[in-house]
Order: sequence, then C-alpha cells, then structure tokens
Amino acid sequence: MLEKLLFRNQDKTQLLIAIIGAFMGITFLITSIHYIIKVNEFGKGTDILGPNTIIVQKKVTNSSSLNLTKTDFSLREIEKMKKERFIEEVKPVISNNFDISFETSDPMVPYFRTDVFIQTVDQNFLDVKTDKWHWKEGDEFVPMIMPREFLVMLNTFMSASGIPQISEDLVKEVKFKFKLWNDSTEERVNVRIIGFTNEVSSILVPASFMKFGNDKYSDGSNQKITQIMISGKEGKFGLVEELLNKKGLESKNAQMVIGRLKSVVGTLFFVVFGISIIAVLASGLVLIQYMQLLISRNEYEVRTLLRIGYNPKEIIKSFFLYFVKIFGIVSGIGFLTFIIFKYFLDKMFLTGGLYIDTKITILSIGALILTYLIFIISSYKTAKKGIFKQF
Amino acid sequence: MEIVLNHIIPTPLSSIEHRSESIWGNFIELKKGKHILLNASSGKGKSTFTNTLIGLRKDYEGTITFDGQDIKNYTPDNWTTIRQSKISVIYQDLQLFEDLTVAENLLLKNNLTNLFSEKEILEMLEKLGIENKWNQKCGLLSMGQQQRVAIVRSLLQPFEWLIMDEPFSHLDNDNAMLGLDLIDKRCKDLNSGFVLTSLGSSYNYEYDQELKL
Repeated sequence: MLEKLLFRNQDKTQLLIAIIGAFMGITFLITSIHYIIKVNEFGKGTDILGPNTIIVQKKVTNSSSLNLTKTDFSLREIEKMKKERFIEEVKPVISNNFDISFETSDPMVPYFRTDVFIQTVDQNFLDVKTDKWHWKEGDEFVPMIMPREFLVMLNTFMSASGIPQISEDLVKEVKFKFKLWNDSTEERVNVRIIGFTNEVSSILVPASFMKFGNDKYSDGSNQKITQIMISGKEGKFGLVEELLNKKGLESKNAQMVIGRLKSVVGTLFFVVFGISIIAVLASGLVLIQYMQLLISRNEYEVRTLLRIGYNPKEIIKSFFLYFVKIFGIVSGIGFLTFIIFKYFLDKMFLTGGLYIDTKITILSIGALILTYLIFIISSYKTAKKGIFKQF
Repeated sequence: MEIVLNHIIPTPLSSIEHRSESIWGNFIELKKGKHILLNASSGKGKSTFTNTLIGLRKDYEGTITFDGQDIKNYTPDNWTTIRQSKISVIYQDLQLFEDLTVAENLLLKNNLTNLFSEKEILEMLEKLGIENKWNQKCGLLSMGQQQRVAIVRSLLQPFEWLIMDEPFSHLDNDNAMLGLDLIDKRCKDLNSGFVLTSLGSSYNYEYDQELKL
C-alpha cells in the first residue's frame, strides 16, 4: 500500500528515457570492456613470445651488402629505443658464436642431423614457465624452443623415410642431441623440445647454455647483435611501427599485422568505452533526478506518513528498493544483451580471422557490479536526503 | 507520559501580549490521563501548539519535556516511537490521502501496529455513520465525513495522549457528540489523556482541565 501511495503519480516517459539510456550505457560499457581485454589478450599463449613482442632486424640494402652501412645494433641504439614512451623493453637477441648441430638420438626415429643456428632471448619476453626454462652444466637435458618450420621439415624427412609423421606433442617426447665443437674438441648434450614458435626462425635455448657454448667453443671473433626484441606497450603498436619505418627496421609481416589489428580494434573499443561511461553517468544522473522529482512530487505523502508515525527509514527503503529493482532489471537486460552481442561479435571476429577467447571477462562483470553499486549508493543517499528534508 | 511546557513562546507569537492565564510563557503541566480542553479564538496559536507538541515546529523559546526529556533533543527515531505509540494526533487539515480510499487510509495507519482487524475498524466507522464509505476515495467525501475518517485513524494506534486540533469543526453537534463518545471510550480503555482544541464549544463534555491561549 505504501508503494501504491508513493509511486502512483509518475512521469513514465521520463523514467523510460532514463531506463533506455542506462540500458544502452551498461550494455556498451560491459561490451567495450570485455573486447578491450580480449583484443589485448589476443595472441597470448599462442606462441612463446609475448603478444606485443616482435623481433626486428635492419633492412638489408644494397649499401649494407657493400659494407657501407651496418646491419648490426650498437648498445647506444638499443638504449635510445628503450627511452621511447611506447616501448616497454628492448633486448638483444644473442646468437651462437660456435659450431653446433642438431641430431636425433632415439631408436624410434631414424638418424637425422643438421647444422643449426641457435639464439637466446631475455626470459621476460618468453611466454614459458620459468621452471622449464633453465640449464646448467650437468643437467639431464637442454630445453629448447623449436621453429614450427623446423617441425615441418622434420616431418617431410620422416615421410620421405617411410615413417609416420609426428605431432607437436609427440615430438616433445623424442630424444635429440646438440653436438658442439671447435677445432680441438667436441661434445654432445641431450636436448628436449618444450615449445614451438612461428615468430623466431632459429632454435631458442636458455641464456646459460648460450654462454656455456660461446665461452667454451667460440672461435674468438666479436659477437654482433643483428636482431633485437621489442616489446611495445598495450595499444601503442602504431607508434612502434612508425619507429621501425623511421629507423629502417623490419619484422615478420604476421607479427606486424597482428599488432596493427590489435591497435585499431583496441582503439575503437576504447572510444566505445568512453562513450559508454558518459552514457552510464548521464542516464544514472537522469534516474537520480527522476527519484528527486518523485520525492518532491510526493512531498505531502511523505510528510503525512512521517506525521502519522511512519519511520523515515521505511520510506527511504521504499524509494531505494524501487530504484534498486529498476536498475537491477536494466543491468540484467543489459548483461543479456551483451551476451547476445558477444555471440554475434565473436562470430564476426572468427570470420575475420581474429580468434579471440570467448570466455566472459571478470573485469566486465566487475564493471557491471561497480556501476550497480555506485548507482544504488547514490539512490540511497538521494532518498535519505529527500525524506529527511521532510522530517 | 507527563508533558511539561516550561515558559514556551513560539517565535511567531513572541511579539504578541499574552494573557496571564495563557499557556504561552507559563509553566504548564499536562498530567497523565487528563482530559483537557484548549479553548481559543482563531489565530491564537492552537495549531502552533499541536504542531510544537508533536515535534513539527521547533521555532519556540522555553522547553517542552516528555517525562522529563527535552523534546528538542529527540532524534527522528525517537519521534517515530512517540508518533507510533505515545501521541496520536487529529490535524486541523486532517492529513488524509485523498487519492486513497477510506479503507486504504485507515489500513495504512493500522498496518504500523496491526492493533485492529478490518471488522473492528468498520465498527468504528459504523459508530460515526460512515461505514458505507469504506471503498470510497477520501477526496470524494465531504469535509465532515473526512473529519470522521481522521478521528477513526487517530484511534488506530496505542497512545498516552490524543491531541486534537479542532476535530469537530465540520461536524454538526450530533456527529461531534458521536465522535467525542468514541474518543472518550478509547481514551478510557487506554487510560490516556487528550487535549482538544476548540473555537469555543466544549461539546457538553466534562474536562479535567481547561487551558487558555
């Protein structure tokens, strides 16, 4: 009966406008947060390099071929790049300065041997567990990350030898050896493949193994840094790409495309996010104003209820719960619409070749809960102020 | 509950000369269970007295105490308790909800304490001759009928004092007597006192005390 008394004279049009505004704001807010996160996460876990990391080298030109310009990086150049605001980290890619070959050492697999080129990169750039990525003299095996092209090559050899091809998981169980040598000595060490990469064309090994090889088997020549790894800040890939062009650096095309795509899509969702925040705030404000209007329209009713013995807290509760219900329904419908949006957007991304994770992000749920909390706190404070004014 | 008015002068009436027997500016005790008439002509402050006593006005000098406690120190919760169980009021402007029916107006009050059944409320209305108005909107009733609804509503709660601000101003003498009978019976049942403000008529009732303004 209290509800009938307090909510009988309403301007439903104004309420409807506020509800539609809040619904749109909430839907776009959670959608944009969800996709900002998903787009930024895109690429994580699919390769051993971090999602914003690229390996670059200087473009080989006619003048560099004639030794007129250098293709290696000086420490000064690396330090200068590190200072750019859109760059997270720059580290050299260290290569072997000694002879090394890779061979099978498993009775199940025919003998296969090839000279290889190995590299090591800073641990921070790698998306592998630290407990797997270490080596010291005397260890049972050297962990290595293999280029996928290498596996294709190995399988071609297996096929040619009349042996079934092997999968990524199976090849991790095959025993391999590295042979290291110089003019005076040689040794073999066991190797185990722990991961694969599309982004690096050489075999990756832990830094300690590279140091061991370079110290013990190096021919003594100076080691040049011909490749570096650059990790760009989230959503700043355009600036990284601009720097690469300016400095005459190049990277694998796929890495560049992904970075560019992430930057564009991420920026678009940031714009939607900004508009959603404004929409949520504006509609929240309209709803709160609507509550103020409702209380002031019911000034006589509220005052009379207080005079006949109603507790102000009970009247506050009536107004508060009414708006909590409205915003709860708006949030619920907003969330359902987001799920429907998500279904279609995920499909669109998939069709477009952007294989993003479809799980709902905790942050978008968190944003919904936070918006709801802010709104109900504002509702409570508005109701309290309006009712006690009549006391 | 004993009510003491210790040299009360409402601010709007402070510039007016009050008579020596006036409650304004004097020490007045309203003893528990007494039936009191407050007789005064229009504009002397009868509604001011009612509104001050119920905590709606705080613009006065002096102190008002309920059982020794200064009411200026009361919190909203204290006032809610007072209005629910210690003091009931019939306001001069009745304070009914015109868009609600008689039943809804009365049940809205009764719901606070659930003191009476619908049947008992209807019996009270019957005593005042308006039981057939149960489902009618209050706004469609005559002022006299509305006044009777307000009388019944004031009785739907426990109270130690019933403060009535010209409760029979729109009633003929017969209906006023019926109303006063109902009030008297309820007050006696509860051993409660009342203060009835009037423009001059005493409705042939024997009061314990008469106050002047």
